[in-house]
Amino acid sequence: MLVVRVLGTLAILLVLSIIVFSMLHLAPGDIVKNLLGNRASSPEAIAAIRAQYNLDQPLYMQYLIWLGNALTGDFGQSIRLQDSVSNVIGSRLGITAALSGLAFLLALVVAVPLGVQSAVRSGSWIDRFATGFGIVGLSAPTFAVGLLLLYVFAFYVPIFPVYGAGDGGLDTLWHLVLPAVTLALGLGAIILKLTRTAMLRELETDYVTFGRARGLPDRQVHLIALRNAAIPIVTGASLVLTFLVGGTVLAETTFALPGLGTLLQGSVLFKDIAVVQALTLLVAVTIATIALLADLAYIFLDPRIRAKESAQ
Amino acid sequence: MTAQVSVTALTIDGPAGVVVAPFDFSIAPGETLALIGESGSGKTLSAKAIAGLLPAGFTARGTIALSSATIELPSTDAVWRATRGRRISLLLQDPFTSLSPVHRCGTQIGMTIDAASATRLSRDERTARITRSLAEVNLPADVARAYPHELSGGMRQRVAIAAALATDPELLIADEPTTALDASNQGEILDLLRGLQEKRGMAALLISHDLGMVRGRAEHVLVMRHGEIVERGVTSSVLNAPSHPYTRALIDADPSLTDRSARVVRGASGAGVSGSAEAKATGTTADSTTVSVDATADLVVATAVTKSFGDKTVLHGVSITVGRGETVGVVGESGSGKTTIARCIAGLERESSGVIEFEGVALAPGRASRTPKQMQIVFQDPYSSLNPMISVGRSLKLALRVAGRPASDLNGLLQLVELPADFASKRPAELSGGQRQRIAIARALAVQPQLLICDESVSALDVSVQKQILDLLAKLRVDLGLSILFISHDLAVVRQLADRVYVLRNGNVVESGQCHDVLTSPQHPYTQSLVAASIHEAAPH
Amino acid sequence: MSSTEAIVLAKLPRSRRRHPLAVWLSLALLGVVTFLVLFGNLIAPDATAQSILDSLLPPGSPGHLLGTDELGRDVLALTIAGAASALVGPVCVALGSMVLGILLGTVSGYLRGPIDFIIGRWTDLLFSLPLLLAAIVVAGVFGAGYWMTVLLLILLFSPSDIRIVRAGVMEQAARPFVEAAQMLSLSKARIMFTQVLPNVWSLIITNSMLNVAFALVAFSSLSFLGVGVAPGTADWGRQLTDGRAIMIDNPAAVLVPALLIIGVASAANLVGDWLGQRLTRTGRS
Repeated sequence: MLVVRVLGTLAILLVLSIIVFSMLHLAPGDIVKNLLGNRASSPEAIAAIRAQYNLDQPLYMQYLIWLGNALTGDFGQSIRLQDSVSNVIGSRLGITAALSGLAFLLALVVAVPLGVQSAVRSGSWIDRFATGFGIVGLSAPTFAVGLLLLYVFAFYVPIFPVYGAGDGGLDTLWHLVLPAVTLALGLGAIILKLTRTAMLRELETDYVTFGRARGLPDRQVHLIALRNAAIPIVTGASLVLTFLVGGTVLAETTFALPGLGTLLQGSVLFKDIAVVQALTLLVAVTIATIALLADLAYIFLDPRIRAKESAQ
Repeated sequence: MTAQVSVTALTIDGPAGVVVAPFDFSIAPGETLALIGESGSGKTLSAKAIAGLLPAGFTARGTIALSSATIELPSTDAVWRATRGRRISLLLQDPFTSLSPVHRCGTQIGMTIDAASATRLSRDERTARITRSLAEVNLPADVARAYPHELSGGMRQRVAIAAALATDPELLIADEPTTALDASNQGEILDLLRGLQEKRGMAALLISHDLGMVRGRAEHVLVMRHGEIVERGVTSSVLNAPSHPYTRALIDADPSLTDRSARVVRGASGAGVSGSAEAKATGTTADSTTVSVDATADLVVATAVTKSFGDKTVLHGVSITVGRGETVGVVGESGSGKTTIARCIAGLERESSGVIEFEGVALAPGRASRTPKQMQIVFQDPYSSLNPMISVGRSLKLALRVAGRPASDLNGLLQLVELPADFASKRPAELSGGQRQRIAIARALAVQPQLLICDESVSALDVSVQKQILDLLAKLRVDLGLSILFISHDLAVVRQLADRVYVLRNGNVVESGQCHDVLTSPQHPYTQSLVAASIHEAAPH
Repeated sequence: MSSTEAIVLAKLPRSRRRHPLAVWLSLALLGVVTFLVLFGNLIAPDATAQSILDSLLPPGSPGHLLGTDELGRDVLALTIAGAASALVGPVCVALGSMVLGILLGTVSGYLRGPIDFIIGRWTDLLFSLPLLLAAIVVAGVFGAGYWMTVLLLILLFSPSDIRIVRAGVMEQAARPFVEAAQMLSLSKARIMFTQVLPNVWSLIITNSMLNVAFALVAFSSLSFLGVGVAPGTADWGRQLTDGRAIMIDNPAAVLVPALLIIGVASAANLVGDWLGQRLTRTGRS
């Protein structure tokens, strides 16, 4: 089962890599001009570009060379930043990772307990608050929330810095608070909804009733339910990740953070295709890996599936 | 513990008024009271009310007097927390769902032990008590390490019993504790409960739909219908001389409790069936009826049919014949392949090999080779066999149109299944289970099929409704000269209708013959055990 | 976003009463906004007219209730006229992906076999990239205009619709009433579209309502990033991009469209939720 799953993921990544590769050729305008960017189009420069990108080779060879280079971490040059793509990405990875990590942590810490309470006290004010929070959190675009926070904290309660990434270390962390809160709102709404739905379903099961019937304390009963609810919650991880990618681009743009999100936005608008290709592949691989890990967690969390897997 | 458990004026109010009318009962230590009723009678709500676990929207009134405490209903969460487990425990119906699938069995028993003990137990002490609990229900100590899915249904119910009783409650409420189990396990579990109860001097309230099960296992019995107690008394006197007609009907419906032919006679004449059915009623046995059965003309002949799903084979060469005008029963437990053979004949399932002939012509697997007029099927679940978004009239008219009949035949069709004409405008959601099943029969008969396949068509219905539908089928087969293939797990139901019967087990026909012969003198050991299981309750204890 | 799928499917088991007040407020807001979409251009015909003299007026200035932006455009007029651009696209996205979802989802879920396999891999592929990322990359690199962006989003939204319809159809197709229709030898197309599909409608309508909300979010996100909507157009997302720099001088230029986007998306979400619960309750037997 797991082998099939891994092979399926690899197949999708392969197809995706072909699509990403062909972006270079499908982009409007002359391919050489696109690759030259702002540089002067002297015959020597054109020849250099054609040689660098193997444009005189057949298409499938171009793809294979490109893929081979990509697998070793060589995505070519960024025409906008005049640096190798891997350097460009490497220098900005940290801030994006810190932002996503912080946002994810924030969302998890708030949303899981809130989701549990909202399901346990279905219909209470806490449930109503959680439901309202869930709806607004899911509906509010990250950048709109970001701008609102920006406005409030820049002009009324100037506690947090509102632009940029700071000078590293604690200062950077301090700069990341507002963007992370912005991002965590949407993330939290998704996690809240997943938790609440899964908990509501678990609380109606026979084993929860039986737990109460034999006098287990409420806390214990809720833990039994949460342990069972963990399976659908973890399965929703890829959903959370999907949101996180889009949200990061928006949050970074809103708060002018020099991370991968702003890099993507800038590169797309500048048609710096090598960077766009690298980022797209990077995201696809990350998502596929995390989805696989979620599946593994699923096996770990559910003894029934564990038994079935080891039987094969 | 010498005082008895007594419940006074227990009343349950639902969102739309009283759902269970006030009733009292008391149970002496070590004794069992059985609360009998069909689904929807309010018996499970009563059980939940006494355990303080009523679903939202329901409230209970009344008093529960235990030796250690008296609870006035409705009570607070705090009172229930002190009561549940330690004084009153509730055992649920389905052992497949009542244990958490991701916790080991020992952990789940340990949770009850922890919840009831005042002090924190040491690891060894807890393990020892878990082992003791398991031993009490005749399970080895290593079951503690197992997850529920690794155990059989019977073992899981034992684990659940161990978990429910680990705190030594005064009263155990068992809500249909054996309904989800195989016939062979049912007796064992009930006897185990009985033994534990006597040993501990624990009172038990046994909730069941099965009147036959309580003989010899409960001192007293209450019969509940539509939220009211219609009969109560000492078990043997209620079973031998019921005073309420409803109790009588429940006993009649139970093969273990009554003489079969007497019941069939009463059933047939009670329904006012015409001509030939009257003749059937006056015959010595109903099974020998040969109304318009032409044994020489076979309608359906299935020969050596096999069917596999993946690497699992459910039919190993099954051969079945249905003659014109004949009613053939196919009996077996779940997993015997009885439904699969019916679905292969209907073309809803493609047989892996074998031949199915209709009027001497071989049919290719699947629906494509069959016509609506050859055969129709009536399914088990009345709630999903009608399209919920489409009115009854539209469903029936669609079937009439397929058969090339005018829409004006609609009223006649409804009359045929004894429903008034205004049902045409109703949606399935407005109908009861029995009414839906009548509509399903009408839809099947709209195309005037030669063969009607009934796949467990009455098993989801209440006993009283079951009888009405069986009577209707008995009437229709005579009036319309229908051939019927009747699939059921229930011997009592099959013997009311079938001329001949096939007994299926693990995808093989183990016995076949005239219904009367097979059921009165079964040859195959499996058939013998089936017959015995359905009547062993009748033997005096 | 593909989160609709999980949310729609996950929500079905429970049925809890929602506060009708919130639903009424949401419907009222959607009504007002619909009015603006239809007649906004008549009410504010000169929304994009620039006036250097009147640039950057604060809210409450005479003749400019919500002030003006740095190009001197009246924020109120811009907001009224921008409703159409902000909402027509998302509604078209929801409708388009609903049609794709119904066709492919029903065929895939009822016929199964090779068609189901192909459609399944197709949705897998589209799901392997986050919707917003794919939209930014494709629309950005190819410089897609408004209607190209609509088509692109229909394509990217459709897999969740397909999967939802497919799951609903598969659940219904296993029911005895469908087999009863097979026993009448009705054609597959007829069974699919007259027997099975009516039972999936509640799921489809709920999902499409939620899709309107998510498409609105996606659309305005794209225009905020400078993709999809041409500069100078009256559009809520664009207003946010343009207004970011002038937040100090005229906060209304950002706050009003931001709150409108949040409000309309929340309202659509809430109504979708509510509709889903009502429809499943009436459809349930």
